[in-house]
Amino acid sequence: MTAEGKRHQSGLSGGAAPAGFTPLDQAFDAGSLYALRAAVAAHAAAAGLGRPQVYDVTAVAHELAANAVVHGAGHGRLRLWADGRFLYCQVSDDGRAGPAGEAGGAGDGAAPWPAEHGHGLWLAGQVADRVGIGHGPAGTTATARFLLSPA
Amino acid sequence: MAADAGVQVTELGAEDHACLTFGESEELFDLTAAFVRDGLAAGLKVVWLTDAGPGLAAGELGHRGVAVEPAMARGQMTAAGWEGRLLSGQSFRAGAAVGWLAGELASCREQGFPGLRVALDMSWALRPVAGVEELPEFEEGIAAALEGSTAAVLCQYDRERFDPVTLASVAGFHTRAVAAATYYADALLRICRQYAPPGIRIAGELDFQAAEPLSLALAEAVRLGGDIMINMSALAFVDARCTLMIADAARAIASLSRLVTLRCLPEVAAGFARIGLDDIPGIRLVAGDR
Repeated sequence: MTAEGKRHQSGLSGGAAPAGFTPLDQAFDAGSLYALRAAVAAHAAAAGLGRPQVYDVTAVAHELAANAVVHGAGHGRLRLWADGRFLYCQVSDDGRAGPAGEAGGAGDGAAPWPAEHGHGLWLAGQVADRVGIGHGPAGTTATARFLLSPA
Repeated sequence: MAADAGVQVTELGAEDHACLTFGESEELFDLTAAFVRDGLAAGLKVVWLTDAGPGLAAGELGHRGVAVEPAMARGQMTAAGWEGRLLSGQSFRAGAAVGWLAGELASCREQGFPGLRVALDMSWALRPVAGVEELPEFEEGIAAALEGSTAAVLCQYDRERFDPVTLASVAGFHTRAVAAATYYADALLRICRQYAPPGIRIAGELDFQAAEPLSLALAEAVRLGGDIMINMSALAFVDARCTLMIADAARAIASLSRLVTLRCLPEVAAGFARIGLDDIPGIRLVAGDR
């Protein structure tokens, strides 16, 4: 469980979520990625993000979920929540562990042409404010954080 | 006179009486543009009867790279409505419509053109038009008029709106069946050939689960030769894997000294720019739905 995930679970957050936003908690598998993207896009738009940011959040949600589908258990859960500053997108996969480690954040000098399987996480690192991946006995949890508005 | 299965619109020639079925207006305009383009390039006279006015028709062909206005100005190309040609006072008579076609063939010869290409948008037959039951007779009449001529007729039927019985009743009078070559089509995604300008068109939502048909389509785009457009103007989502596959194909085409145009929505264009595709000679990244 990542720091964000723990904070979410313990109820600590950086302020109230944007008005109109409702958290999302949705199961997915290979056959429901389209429905997952549609739900994430709708919830991200309700958090007040503009069209390009909604697309980016949706793309990162898809990549994290696709990673669970292709390299993990084949299914998982996606949770989307927000506080006053950030929107969080967390994908958990109770199957075998996926690719290890932390995806690079923007500007950390990540190579622009990674191996194909890594490109989804590279993309997440490029467009999210921060991406963390944790492995535990219960599976893999990836959390991407997006800035809701300029600090 | 049964229709051949699947012929490409670019393969049509004299005496062909082709039945084009399309699923969306983008496909209709694309295939029509190729039919018109190849006719004009061969010096033939071209007539397109369509509900779209001459201005709109010229615009649809124009932004697909077919310069119809000069051809219209010199009398080589006509885009016109059905009234006074296929229809008279919103009623249809097969004999009169075949007579119109015979008149076009005669005037084409008198004007010294080596041949004629006629595209007929048949959606008038979906309207409450008197005499529509004579449609099969009209298609039979076209087939007879074309025998021994230097003309080709492309009848355009919307396969979503015409019922299967009507389509079956006219299919037998055509010598060719034409549709866009399709690599993949379901409710969420369509990957097909684009004919004008040449390339492929991807519409809907594209992710790794469609990597195989995408790979086939991209391989064909590389093989087509010449400049290529990958038209993604109606592509709402593309994932990282497919973005890389399209980028690799674009780089491969550009490395052969050919121009490749990627037309896509701004959010999708940003994804290609992120991996450096906005700064490669031979690759043109165009954000917008046109």
